[in-house]
Amino acid sequence: MKKVCIALVLLLAGQTLRAQTDTSSADALMSSLTAEDKPEDVIASFKATRLIFSQTTETVKKHNLNFLVTHRFGDIAGSEGGGSTLFGLDNSSDIFIGFEYGLTDNLDLQFGRSKYEQLIEAGFKYAVLHQKADGSMPFSLALAGKMGLKPYSVNTDVFDDYTNRINYMAQAIIARKFSSKLSVLVSPTFVRNNLPFPFIDGNEKDYIAISAAARYKITKRFGLVVDYAHPFSSFRNNSTNPKFYDPLGVGIEVETGGHVFTLNFSNSKAISEMNFLSDTQSSWDKGQYRLGFTISRMFDLGPKHNKNKKQSNY
Amino acid sequence: MKHLLILLALTSSLLGQQAPPALYVSKNAAITLYSDAPMEDIEGNSTDGKSVYNASTGELAFNVAIRSFKFQKSLMQEHFNENYMESDKYPQASFKGKITEKPDVTVNGSYPVTATGVLEAHGVKQQRTIKGKINVNNGKLTMTSEFMVKCADHKIEIPKLVFQKIAETLKITVTANYTAYNKNPTK
Repeated sequence: MKKVCIALVLLLAGQTLRAQTDTSSADALMSSLTAEDKPEDVIASFKATRLIFSQTTETVKKHNLNFLVTHRFGDIAGSEGGGSTLFGLDNSSDIFIGFEYGLTDNLDLQFGRSKYEQLIEAGFKYAVLHQKADGSMPFSLALAGKMGLKPYSVNTDVFDDYTNRINYMAQAIIARKFSSKLSVLVSPTFVRNNLPFPFIDGNEKDYIAISAAARYKITKRFGLVVDYAHPFSSFRNNSTNPKFYDPLGVGIEVETGGHVFTLNFSNSKAISEMNFLSDTQSSWDKGQYRLGFTISRMFDLGPKHNKNKKQSNY
Repeated sequence: MKHLLILLALTSSLLGQQAPPALYVSKNAAITLYSDAPMEDIEGNSTDGKSVYNASTGELAFNVAIRSFKFQKSLMQEHFNENYMESDKYPQASFKGKITEKPDVTVNGSYPVTATGVLEAHGVKQQRTIKGKINVNNGKLTMTSEFMVKCADHKIEIPKLVFQKIAETLKITVTANYTAYNKNPTK
């Protein structure tokens, strides 16, 4: 009898419990429905595909074309700077014009040309992993690869063998958006110069470098960026003539609709990884830093779905 | 004593099932937002809205993940999420309220309805009265509604830098197909 009583009480309790959890309230049903949603990718870890020097984990989305103009002026101070060159504005250390086209949402092709050593480069970036909003994937990973060619001779005979003009760069970009304000990236990079520049004995053909960069958003469309790179190259770390320095850039980033502007100061003269990692000989200490900027403009080349033909500014 | 207990158990379980709440569920409600801006029309679509409707009480709940809205241009979608809706902070938009008319869902027909409740988007709750229509077709319900949302009401800022690319008022269109919710599905 006692057993039956207990069993019945349990039965009753179970019944009420079930009624509470699985059905009656629309609220409970709603939360069970929304719980089915999959974790979303974290988006917009960075505004643009590049920070100051670094590639970010952002890729150009399918059918979009990113047009980049990057400029580095001359030394602001030091022997080449000062008022006579309007603090470097009269000179240009490097000018890069580039295009990035999205083949898929995760894969883009890149093409660009630098003034610095007339480097022409072609490459790709592939977004392998996406950080997830629920933390199931704590970071994003993208791979970038590039091949560069210096088509014009820098010196009379160094480029006799045409393969000497070719350089390579391979990079893994690991980024994490810590909050809606702060994103950080770290990029191990492998660089190969078939004929390493500057043309000095002991200069390595191959070396590894690491980049670290961060963005901190002050407002929704305005942020601070800092970008740093260090080549692990015994030649670059030990040579005294010429002496090499680690590239360091600081700047601001402004987004206005389809444009992203970056305004920065850096000691690096060159814009392409193959150049600035290999050959940054200017130092912040000596006033050899310069104003630079990047304008990134995104065009959507996808099929038009807009029924009303209004002029698109996106 | 034993019989009494069994009787008690039986009645209580019967009572529990006696008045099953007439719950209707939609798992893929289509929600469209449309901005007729001077420069460019912007349209976002989600087919991922969730809704629960209690036909006996008139209770109505809607929920949609902001990230589920798809736009023609990926940049629009990113700006929508990152700058306007801040979907990492406010991942959902929702409506919770009641339908005043409570139409008889056992009779086929088209019923104009009015829902009163709280619309929450971008973390801001607004008391709203929204008109819509319920179509009943052999136990299947379709709810449609079209209403306007002012960005300013939900503290969605439109910066001057973007040159009025989005309108200050968005048109929201909702179409939800409901099926009766079977609380103890037979397996």
